[in-house]
Parts: sequence; structure tokens; C-alpha cells
Amino acid sequence: MRKFISGSLLIIVSGIFILLSSCTTGSCFEETECYVKASFYNNTTRTPPDSLTLYGLNKDSILYKHAVSIQPALIPLNASTDSCTFVLMINGVTDTIEFFYTNYPHLISKECGYTFYHHLDTIIPLNQFHSIKRIEYINQTITNLNAENIRIFY
Amino acid sequence: MQRTSGFFISLLFILTCSFIRVKAQDTIPMPLKINVGLEVSGPIKYFSDKNIQNTEAYFSIDLDEKRSAFFSAGHLNYEYSQNNYTYLNKGSFVRIGMDFNMLKPDKSLGKYWLGIGLRYGLSRFNSSTPTLYKLNYWGTTTYSLPNKTYWGHFVEVSPGVRAEIFKYFSIGWSVSLRMLLYTGTGKDLRPVYFPGFGNGTKTVSTAMSYYIVLNIPYKRINAIIKKEAPEENDDTNDKGTESSTQQGNSIRH
Repeated sequence: MRKFISGSLLIIVSGIFILLSSCTTGSCFEETECYVKASFYNNTTRTPPDSLTLYGLNKDSILYKHAVSIQPALIPLNASTDSCTFVLMINGVTDTIEFFYTNYPHLISKECGYTFYHHLDTIIPLNQFHSIKRIEYINQTITNLNAENIRIFY
Repeated sequence: MQRTSGFFISLLFILTCSFIRVKAQDTIPMPLKINVGLEVSGPIKYFSDKNIQNTEAYFSIDLDEKRSAFFSAGHLNYEYSQNNYTYLNKGSFVRIGMDFNMLKPDKSLGKYWLGIGLRYGLSRFNSSTPTLYKLNYWGTTTYSLPNKTYWGHFVEVSPGVRAEIFKYFSIGWSVSLRMLLYTGTGKDLRPVYFPGFGNGTKTVSTAMSYYIVLNIPYKRINAIIKKEAPEENDDTNDKGTESSTQQGNSIRH
């Protein structure tokens, strides 16, 4: 009987020990940004462009400036609107393309919080394509996962 | 002739008796109890963190010396803020299931419990995200998710211990391993935290619970004590071992 009474003490002590050891602080280790992952291919040789420049229309900051062998290019969409336009220069030839999509919030984790996923509807040229020959849709759900979404053939 | 038939009848009787092994069962009187427990870590945590207000109580009734029917209910008021969002969750939950005491009756004596609980949990909650900010290349997107009611379902495995410290009062703790079945929120807006389960962004959650329990005996039963296996040294004298074990049990009475 005495053994079991000391057992009760063991229960309390072990409980406190588990309580203390279970205290953990959370940090965000996941990717929180969602990009359209676009691969660029020459329509005949299937090679990436020698020079790629990319920026949002009317934006000052440039995403890629004469970048070499970027595969894939990460294109951020505007979660506040249902479309956004990018200026794309492949090997010195400029195209202006517009992305149409829908946005929806996605909770990554308690620590990382929310991000916005997109469903890509279509990509069209603002006037007409110059260097781009065609666009292939691989995965139209734009998430924080590292998965190719579109292939742009120039 | 009469002698011969008498001999065979006696032989048949002895053989029949040897096949029907009548086991003398040792029993121990044991109280069956109604247990009403209060989870105490929730209110204690609330003093240090005003954003989590969790209250929970349980009711269990011993069905026999091993099994207890379990029912618990609770309420959660949760608020969480970090740099890019604020999350609110308020709701109630119930858990139903069965507790299994792994201690033998002669060890538990109706006072000690070391076992495992298997439960199903149902949670009804209102969750909302009043503010949500996301900054990217195009600037800051501001958004909010309105208050909506959801039903969450989960299952729980809960090993733990309890011990009577005073007459009618026990204390104990349990570790809960919960598996999410359904939240009703869809995969994109899983609840950050919801009543009865915890972190809803993960499929599995763990928790520690600490209880103060009121035990009210309602019935006494004679619980059967299984005979202990004979020790290897006494293999040569099986009968002697059996009788000594029985003696040991009766001494414990």
C-alpha cells in the first residue's frame, strides 16, 4: 500500500516533468510565397533563353534583369486583383503578357500564417506575341509548392 | 460382473472429473465508481496566456474492474495573433469513449488507474480571421475571413494514470494523441486551433491533461484475480506452487 502512495507522488512528479518538456516554441520553416513557376524553352532547340528580363507593368523594381539560364522563373501574381501584367524580354525581344486568375487564401500553418493561392485561368498578350510562340499550361493551381506551372516557348 | 461394471463406472467418473477442471477463482471486493473530473491545466494556463481559455470536465462510470464509459465536455475561447494575421475561435466539444484500466484488480484496488482511453470527439466552433496581411512584389493585400460555424471530428488515444490521494479524490494526468478526421473548413482554411483538438493545421495533435477527480462508489463487485504463473524453480512441484499462490492471494485479502 505504501508503495502505491509513493506511486501517487511519482504520478505528480512525472506529470510535471512531461508538462515542462512539452513546452516548445513554433517557428515558420515553410515557403510562404506563391509564384507562377514558368520554364522557358526555345521552340526548336528546347534550350533556355540567353537573356531574360521580367518586371511588372508600371512597377519600378525588376524581377529578372538579363538573367541567364533561369529555369524556372518565379512570377508573383497580385493577390489584390484578378489580373496582372508583366513585361517580358526574351533575348532582346519584348512581349507584354497578362495573367488572369482567381485568388483564395490558404493557411500554411499556425506559425507561417496565410498566403494566397491562385487558380490561373489564362495568359494572353496585351497586343500580340512577338517572341513567344506558345504557352503550355502544366498545373494551373499556383501554390507555394515547387512544381512547374507553365512552359513558355519562344 | 457387478464388480467389473462398478470399476468401469468409477473409472469413467474419475476420467470425466479430470477433464472438467474446476478452477477455484480468487476474488477481491472492489468498488465501482462514478468519476467526475475537472481538467486543471486549462485554467492555470489562462493565468499566463489570456489568449487561450479552455475549460473541460469529464464524467466516467466504471462498468467493471477494467472498463469505464467516458464522456467529457468543454469550451474553448481562443485568440492568436502574429505579424500577418489574427485568428479567433470559440466553441464547445464533447468526447465519448471507453477507458481501459491495465492494472490488475489486486493492484488497482479501485484506487489506482493506469490505462488507456479510446475516444471520439466532436467539436462545434465559430472561427474567423478578422485581419490578414500579405506582402509581395505588388504590395500588401489585406483580407479578412468572416465568422463561420464549423463541425470538427476527431479520434483520440489517451494513455494516462490516476491515483486516489484522499478518500473520494484522485489526481492524474493523461497524454492525448488526437487524429483529425474532418474540420468542415476545407483544406485551405483549416482551423489554427479548435476546441477539443488543438492545432487544426496538423492532422495529428498531442496534448497533456491534468485532472482532479471526485470518485463516488456506487456498487461493490468481486473482481476475479488471475492466478500468477508458477515460478521456474517450482516446476517440480506444481501442486505446491498452486496452493502457495492461492495462499498468497488469500493473505492479500
